[in-house]
Amino acid sequence: MLIFDQLRKDDPQLRALTALVLAGVLTLLAGLWYVQVISSKRFVDNQRAQAYRTVRIPAARGKILDRNGHPFADNYPNYRINLYLEELPRLFKDEWRRTKPARALLREERLALESMARFTVVSNLSTQLGQVVGQPIAVSLAEFSEHYNSQPALPLTLANQLNAVQIARFQEQPVIPPGLDLDVQPMRSYLYGTTAAHILGYLRRDNQSREGEEADYDFRLPDYRGKVGIEHAFDSTLCGRAGMKSVLVNNLGYRQSESTWVESEPGTNVVLTIDLAIQRAAERGLQAALNETRGAVVVMDCRDGDILAMASAPSFDPNRFIPRISREDWEALSDPKLRPQINRAIQEHYAPGSIFKIITAMACLESGLDPDRSQYNPGFIHVGRRRPIHDLAPPGDYDFKKAFIFSSNTYFISNGLNAGVDRILEISRRLHLGELAGIPLPGQEKPGILPKPGEAPIAWHDGDTANLCIGQGYLSVTPLQMTVMTAAIANGGAVLWPRLIDRLVPQDPLHGSQPLVFKKAQVRDRLNVSKRTLELIQEAMRADVEERGTGKAAHIPGYTVSGKTGTAQVTDPSGKVVDHTVWFASFAPYEDPKYAVVVMVESGASGGGTCAPIARQVFEALRQRDAATAARPAGLAKPAPTFTSTPTPAEG
Amino acid sequence: MIGAIDQESRPRLDWPQIIAVVALLVIGAAFIHSATASNEIFTNRPWFRQPSLWHLIYGAIGLVIAGCLCWIDYRQIARWAIVAYWGSILLLLAVFVFGKEVYGAKRWIGIGPAQVQPSEFAKIGFIFMMAHYLSRPLEELRQPSIFWRALGLMALPFLLILKEPDLGSALLLLPVGLGMLWAAGTPPRWILRLVGAGALVVSLLLVDVLFAPPQWQFKLKDYQRRRLMVYFGIDFAANAPSSERARLHREQRAHSYNVEQALISVGSGGWFGKGWNQGQQITLGYLPRAVSHNDFIFSVIAEEKGFLGSVIVVSLYSVVLFTGIRTAAQSRDRLGRLLAVGVVILFFSQVFINIGMNIRIMPVTGVPLPLLSSGGSSVLCSLIAAGLLQNIHLYRRNY
Repeated sequence: MLIFDQLRKDDPQLRALTALVLAGVLTLLAGLWYVQVISSKRFVDNQRAQAYRTVRIPAARGKILDRNGHPFADNYPNYRINLYLEELPRLFKDEWRRTKPARALLREERLALESMARFTVVSNLSTQLGQVVGQPIAVSLAEFSEHYNSQPALPLTLANQLNAVQIARFQEQPVIPPGLDLDVQPMRSYLYGTTAAHILGYLRRDNQSREGEEADYDFRLPDYRGKVGIEHAFDSTLCGRAGMKSVLVNNLGYRQSESTWVESEPGTNVVLTIDLAIQRAAERGLQAALNETRGAVVVMDCRDGDILAMASAPSFDPNRFIPRISREDWEALSDPKLRPQINRAIQEHYAPGSIFKIITAMACLESGLDPDRSQYNPGFIHVGRRRPIHDLAPPGDYDFKKAFIFSSNTYFISNGLNAGVDRILEISRRLHLGELAGIPLPGQEKPGILPKPGEAPIAWHDGDTANLCIGQGYLSVTPLQMTVMTAAIANGGAVLWPRLIDRLVPQDPLHGSQPLVFKKAQVRDRLNVSKRTLELIQEAMRADVEERGTGKAAHIPGYTVSGKTGTAQVTDPSGKVVDHTVWFASFAPYEDPKYAVVVMVESGASGGGTCAPIARQVFEALRQRDAATAARPAGLAKPAPTFTSTPTPAEG
Repeated sequence: MIGAIDQESRPRLDWPQIIAVVALLVIGAAFIHSATASNEIFTNRPWFRQPSLWHLIYGAIGLVIAGCLCWIDYRQIARWAIVAYWGSILLLLAVFVFGKEVYGAKRWIGIGPAQVQPSEFAKIGFIFMMAHYLSRPLEELRQPSIFWRALGLMALPFLLILKEPDLGSALLLLPVGLGMLWAAGTPPRWILRLVGAGALVVSLLLVDVLFAPPQWQFKLKDYQRRRLMVYFGIDFAANAPSSERARLHREQRAHSYNVEQALISVGSGGWFGKGWNQGQQITLGYLPRAVSHNDFIFSVIAEEKGFLGSVIVVSLYSVVLFTGIRTAAQSRDRLGRLLAVGVVILFFSQVFINIGMNIRIMPVTGVPLPLLSSGGSSVLCSLIAAGLLQNIHLYRRNY
């Protein structure tokens, strides 16, 4: 060794000292090698864990559009003013120095006072900001402390949804208080308010990670999740993919810098088959019908099954759920009588009443009823040992058409009994009553009730059949099911799957993936009744509106509407009639049926009086739609939706 | 004049050592800059008050003093050993009167804008005094009275520094003093007995401090007791009532915090480090800013320059230490040899304790890293000590 050579052999102390120093140096080097080379990874991880925070950035939600590209649900830019806490420690310190009491403090006291000093700073800043934007802005101590303690690396949002004037005032401020900055966040907005609310559904605050996504974040930016309706059913399509950013924080938890690791991918647009104009006509009609109407309208293109409108009243405004629904609003939504959250078109089932006579008529005609033979109606009918069933049609002679127009119970019960319950039920089954219609709104749709063989009540009497013939008793249907039925009558016997979603279109047209289009005109079943039967019923329905029938309120000059009214009794458990559900099932035009419209109103006066005028308004809108389509050049008969078009905002 | 002195006896400086010392000074200034660049207290100061610049200024002053020392034969300087020793003792006493209290300890005396840390100068005074006192025939060294007096010389500054309190600086005197006694030729078994007895007392003390019920415990400062507990990984809160436990655990974390962060700094440096001024631990403030440029400067170097940087630093210290031992071996008188041994042991102990503390093989004590740590007194004294080595090297043959 270099050193040992120079030491004299007779100097043991220095030799020992050399050995000691050498050993010490080697120990240090070995230790350093162990820490810096062998276990370096562990310390790098430790450092990363203490210095990096990951933040989930929700993607911009996909839009929900009507068939022509009008956005029902869109994202509007929400201008916010954020307070970046990392800009403030100096102010915190100054304030603390200013307010610090002279005496010695206990640890807890000091912490409490320091926290108070911080709050004073933030509170002053928000007051200043409030003066700038001309709107009082307040931060509560609890709110600030919670934010400061849990996520100091993220900005605290002081003001939301600023308007143009406020933004301008903030931007023009020569000296902006420290730490304040403007940012923009996409915010869900339902442009037409209550329109189609039951189909669209609503969102609730939910920052959690979606399935198949990074689950471990330190912080999450506010996100929403669809709870009902399309927002719920297509949540995973609409929500896109959340992005991730990492924030480098210092020892106090303040943000030092940040970088985006994964960009968020915007969600896919959902295009409905709904036509905005028709939907609004249906809703206007419902609203105008009664004071606080409870009812539903379903409009279906009877050629291809497209649902053009599905209205339910009363409705609600899904905008109220953003950012958070207030207690009063929620209580209003939970009103036990109005039940605004229920989609009455599919989520509730009702006795169909006389509109079920369409099915009874089919059964009778198919089993050989001569439509021209007259029968005497005494004004009531006895079936079995039960009390007589009254007929609202006046006593007299009735052939099929007259009985249909006047909705004679006697005629349809006596002939229905002749045809037999099995025939009626068979046709009902081909219409898939008692089954879901397959609307993609999970949890909303109810199947209704239809007696099934083997599942029927213990003893089935003729009285039960009699009730069935006139749409009462052990039977209940949804307005949508009645629409499918009406469409089947109109289109010549095809029982269609209703279609609510037209296609899924990527929000970014350059994304590359093709829109997913759902198939039209999916036939679920066939009525298997003769053409003559259908023609007879169609003619009877036309006469109900066009001639002196119950549905004359739906009459539109120059546009042949055909329909059937119904008034179903609602009984309490003891059998007493407490209310009426009124119906109008219709299609038009008679000559070349295109649209089926079914209107149902709870507690209405009568099908003809309450529902038929609503149907007329809808048909008028449909007629305008047809006129507009016809006016377009042939090549553009079905224009591609323009997603960039700015819609006219909802009225009122 | 050149002709008069032959080739062999021409005074020559120990250049490798000088280069190593200057290199350490410059490295120190560079990383003090890096350690203070993100510290508001320092960035708010003008450039001429930056600690990195002052490190170089103190380094230059120290080099000048060391150069001046080399003009005079160390044997003549050593005549003033008694004055130096008692002077430093007076300074240590003055600390109690004029000292500035920082974190409950009085270690500094303010002279104008500068702060003097007498314990640093006491180390030099002590080495001079011991070397001077032990430079006597071997027979005398074998007399117990001389041995006890030498121990007395050691005990006086030790107790004064301990009282400040500055346990780290005080403890440094023990290996220096004992090493010099042993190098001088005091019978090794005396020293062994002393060390054995000392170790026994210390271990009893440790057991007492760490495990005994409170009323039987030797009175240490609370922070000292906790530092020891942190080093030995003993749970503060083991015997505490449950209401107190959460608070104590928080405190324990806070106490082990410095060590853990230093370890993360060193470990995350890896092979080559993150680059000068790129250390995350320091920019983000995880490495406490109050100590990063003095006691924990090594972790800054290790994080920014990695294992490579650590090896360079340790190698530079090795050059200083081994050339120092060579100087001791080459000196022809007992005084030079003892002085050199004292300085070498002082440097070695500081380096080993300080770097060892960064990688957790030594407990946290406030021992600066010579020539690297920021601090005027420490830099000046380290350079005086290094100048002393040069002096002994220069005048080794003038006997």
